[in-house]
Amino acid sequence: MPGMWWVVGATVVAALVVAYLIWTAGRVERLQGRAQLAARALDAHLLRRAAAAAVLAERRYGVELYAAARIALDARPDEREAAENDLTRQLRTVRLDPTDPDCEAVIAASRRLALARQVHTDLVRDARTARGRPVVRLFRMGRGHTWPRYFDIDDPTLAVPAADVPTR
Amino acid sequence: MRIGIVCPYSFDVPGGVQNHVMDLAEALIGLGHEVSVLAPADEDSPLPPYVVPAGRSVPLPYNGSVARIAFGPVSTARVRRWITRGDFDVLHVHEPLALSLSMLAVLSARGPVVATFHTAMTRSRVLSAAQGALQIVLERITARIAVSALARKVQVEHLDGGAVEIPNGVAVAKFAGVEPLPGWPGECAPGTGGTLGFLGRFTEPRKGFPILRDAFVELARQRPGLRLLVAGPGDPDDLFDQFPPDLRERVTFLGLVPEEEKARMLRSVHLYVAPNTGGESFGMILTEALAASTTVVASDLDAFRRVLDGGRAGRLFPTGDPVALRETLAELLDDPAQRAELTACGDQVVANFDWPVVARRVLEVYAAAIEATDGRVIDQEWVGPD
Repeated sequence: MPGMWWVVGATVVAALVVAYLIWTAGRVERLQGRAQLAARALDAHLLRRAAAAAVLAERRYGVELYAAARIALDARPDEREAAENDLTRQLRTVRLDPTDPDCEAVIAASRRLALARQVHTDLVRDARTARGRPVVRLFRMGRGHTWPRYFDIDDPTLAVPAADVPTR
Repeated sequence: MRIGIVCPYSFDVPGGVQNHVMDLAEALIGLGHEVSVLAPADEDSPLPPYVVPAGRSVPLPYNGSVARIAFGPVSTARVRRWITRGDFDVLHVHEPLALSLSMLAVLSARGPVVATFHTAMTRSRVLSAAQGALQIVLERITARIAVSALARKVQVEHLDGGAVEIPNGVAVAKFAGVEPLPGWPGECAPGTGGTLGFLGRFTEPRKGFPILRDAFVELARQRPGLRLLVAGPGDPDDLFDQFPPDLRERVTFLGLVPEEEKARMLRSVHLYVAPNTGGESFGMILTEALAASTTVVASDLDAFRRVLDGGRAGRLFPTGDPVALRETLAELLDDPAQRAELTACGDQVVANFDWPVVARRVLEVYAAAIEATDGRVIDQEWVGPD
């Protein structure tokens, strides 16, 4: 009965396609979740740096740095990238002394922020690549989530005089 | 922190990645963390206590040399078991794109995964052809580390991702203050004496040994007592045939020196010469020479210029130019003050490459990976006790 084999073959192919789709949907979901968690970690590090900069400004460097830190803390989501870049620029204008604990806190926070930004960018890129694949678009997988957004800021690492690594 | 490290190549044979993994593991343990290293090795081979053997490895030609790796269902089961038992806070794999334990570990991992890329392949057809399959591995990695600017470039250009550049470390304590070999480095006065050193495969063209030989032969005729100390794998006849008969007694060949002897060899010379013509991605041997407080003369390659801080920590000469090398050597051998100045600066530079310092930077990447996985920020203390 040749017709029988057609049915078996079609069933196997259909099962494989379904398995692939389920696997792809799971993959998209996982990458989306990862990008969101990385965004939360990045957010926390942005707040940390701004807070450390505000403390430093109150103790040592006056209004301009304080204002930049305040603006970065209060910025609305659509203004935040610009505000964070302003803060990076302000921090680059002041002389930071790595032996002073307040300065050290800002330097460390900036270094950690740079890592968080790097990881976030990579994970967002993975998630966007997965979302952009034709089969994912066709079946509208991951539609429960907004498209993952890059957080586009300059490298926040601060050049430290003498040594650029933590030698504490 | 509980850290699981996966090394793709067998500890039964020495190699750059294996040394890196061992030194990193020891530095992390020194900072008070719990470390377990999974590597292919025979059950009965002598291993440090923190290494878990993953069974026999198979020799496979890879990237111009032979790598001993483990791959297959048995290895997969072992990797799974090790990950489950280890209950790690972070998994750190090396060279995850080689078909090896590292790739298996990435595919079996659940939590945060940090990957270190060592190789600096400038162009790889395999990479572009298998991009889709590699993506499945890459997207399980949370944070990437590249050991050199070149390895980072491969990440950015071929694998479409960023990476944090953290250099190879050097165990400064193992090199500093080691006794030189008996009878070395000998006399060095203006116009006479002095010892030059070379370590590596002298038959390999990109190591540039012929450039050093030309410079040495010329200089030895003008400078009585100048000696050359060579160490590395190879046949002594191949080496001595390159020199005119009257100069052969001024060349000493040590053969392949074990890791512990390397420090003594580097301390036994006045000038360490790295005449490489290319293909170096990092210049590990230069950091080791600096750690041994030996003055370095190196060709003006990108990688070397970075390690030597643009020429402040060691002299650079135009790549592939034996005449310029000879002049540089003659000048430095006659000028102990300048040598002292270069080594003093070298000591400062190499402090940035010391393993405990490098391991702290790696710990910060671990923290970033863990945070990105559960969305919480870890307190500063995770970076380790001071």
